Amino acid sequence: MDPLPSRNSQLAQRRADFASVPEMLDYAAQGQTGVSFYNAKGDLLSAIPWREVRERAHVTARKLIGAGFAAGERILITADTWPGFFDSFFGAQYAGLVPVPVSIPVGIGGKDAYLDQLRRQLFASGAVAAVGIDDLAGFLADAAREFPAVRLHGGKGALDALPEKAVDLRPLGPADLSYIQFSSGSTRHPHGVQISQRALMANLAGMTGPAGLDVVPGDRAVSWLPLYHDMGLIGFLMGPLSCQLAIDYLTPRDFARRPMQWLNIISRNRGSISYSPSFGYDLSMRRGAMQVPADLDLSCWRRAGIGGDMIRPEVLHRFADAFEPSGFDRKAFIPSYGMAEVCLAITFSPQGEGVRTDIVDRIALADQQRAVPAADPRDGQRARSFVLCGRVLPGHLLEVRDPDGKLLADREVGRIFIQGPSVMPGYFGEPEATREVLSDDGWLDTGDLGYWLNGEIVVTGRAKDLIIINGRNVWPQDIEWAIEAKRIVKNGDAAAFSIDTGEGERVVVAVLARVSGEEARVALARDVAGAVREAIAVDCDVALVPPTSGLPTTTSGKLSRARTKANYLAGLYTYKPAAA
Amino acid sequence: MPDPGTGEQLLRTAHQLIVENDDIANTLELPRLASRLDVIREICRHLSPYQAGERPIVGATVIAKDLTIDSLAIMDMVMELEDSFDVSIPMNVVAEIHTVDQLADTILDLRAKR
Repeated sequence: MDPLPSRNSQLAQRRADFASVPEMLDYAAQGQTGVSFYNAKGDLLSAIPWREVRERAHVTARKLIGAGFAAGERILITADTWPGFFDSFFGAQYAGLVPVPVSIPVGIGGKDAYLDQLRRQLFASGAVAAVGIDDLAGFLADAAREFPAVRLHGGKGALDALPEKAVDLRPLGPADLSYIQFSSGSTRHPHGVQISQRALMANLAGMTGPAGLDVVPGDRAVSWLPLYHDMGLIGFLMGPLSCQLAIDYLTPRDFARRPMQWLNIISRNRGSISYSPSFGYDLSMRRGAMQVPADLDLSCWRRAGIGGDMIRPEVLHRFADAFEPSGFDRKAFIPSYGMAEVCLAITFSPQGEGVRTDIVDRIALADQQRAVPAADPRDGQRARSFVLCGRVLPGHLLEVRDPDGKLLADREVGRIFIQGPSVMPGYFGEPEATREVLSDDGWLDTGDLGYWLNGEIVVTGRAKDLIIINGRNVWPQDIEWAIEAKRIVKNGDAAAFSIDTGEGERVVVAVLARVSGEEARVALARDVAGAVREAIAVDCDVALVPPTSGLPTTTSGKLSRARTKANYLAGLYTYKPAAA
Repeated sequence: MPDPGTGEQLLRTAHQLIVENDDIANTLELPRLASRLDVIREICRHLSPYQAGERPIVGATVIAKDLTIDSLAIMDMVMELEDSFDVSIPMNVVAEIHTVDQLADTILDLRAKR
């Protein structure tokens, strides 16, 4: 089996000027490019031209329509990176159904937490079908048991077994949704972002156009990003498809196992566009830099994007240092900023400029919300560097506002708002949650903090309590609930937050230690960390708070995570168990 | 560290197994017949640095909870065990493993089915 070509021999490139996903695939199907799947050893498992993706999707669509699914109904899909995902996702597009891609389980012992998550997603999306890889058929059946509306569930066989009927296709059109993206809200109360066809097309045009990645014929995309994440699904399926590019995939698991395969595939297939959060660059650098293959040639990689979490310039510099001898061009780095509520992208830093930082004074930033250039940029105690994320995409407006809504000038830190054609119509079935972030005149509150610098946005952090670990959004209440659910501490006795270690975020959980004796305190800290690991699959530091002092609360009596964090950073919770 | 199965001192078996890294998995020297003891030993070899206090690692040890191991290290361990014993543990099965015994039995079952 050979990899698919990077260029179409006859078909002229159209760059994201389509009206809907089915239209994009119809056009790409006239060429020879397509999607290829690689395993951890770098073997090509399958190569499917867009033409075949479309044919297979048509078959799936006729099965779904034939089975009586009505236009607009939702189909939950566990979004592993494999051909079956393409069958169901695009099958739904041609059947007029709205796909709901969801994550797959992570880590050992995670079954119960995963089933909970599936149930919440089934509830929030009102899905009528739930399909995925065969390994997860049992979990889907378990989760679907409580939902009589789910008429079909199972692995690949569940869809294959449906009879293909001679029915007309019902492709989703410009006025329809394209899919529902779960990435917002806590896992207990998940919000599904409605990705409309129209907003998606607008965002793709911006992403692939001159203010974005400026895609050209012959570009080739390589990705290990999960397809249940907007950066994976929109950035590295919809984006390349909208320009008829070839895509090479590695599963996120295989990337974690053999991060160098990411770079090997780029080198071997002459990939030119690939993205990762900072931690992916870090992982490949730490695991791979020791044994770089002699023939690794990354000179083809012209758009090395970074997004999905706070961008860590020092990580990227180290990556570039390690792979410059293999032809990596540090000017290829493109720091970007975005979120699912605008489909994916809001800003791209300019092409060919690499990572540019602004080094500011930490104290002025924390105390006056002002990004004042640091007196001594090398003073790690006082200086903090942030990455410039570029200008807003054409046709969109960005504002930085103070808490009273006043527009802020350069170097004044405030909340970032965006308006424009990529902004979501709202969260699925959640008018109240939508109103909290989206105003009547179409301004979206991103929940992020940042400042302007010469027309570019610099993102400094999040206004909300949201914790992002390795590109994963974790809500502090989910962590607290996990501990409380195991009855390790009483309700309200735990507060989770994250601290910036300079290299990444670290979760800290402060709990009231209603136990005495060193052994009991060590056991408590261990149980808390264990419960968090088991339920949320993140690691945490545990701070034990004397019960006499209690956890800080707001004036309305709610737990204040911000004040807990401030106390922690001020050294008020100094006790650390010896063995935890 | 005492062996969780027999109570005898465990011998480190690292010299038999070259674990991890990119592209060299093929050079693994596979134990031809992996006994339950081999598998448990290998698991314990990975877990021993994470022992919490004096509590010994035994078959009933809940990996994510009773030890100080973090989730990335758990992932790494599972991957290395998969490489060492030449098995692939399906994600739904991984999600149901809690204890050392369950992990060992899973690996043995998968090896038996090969």
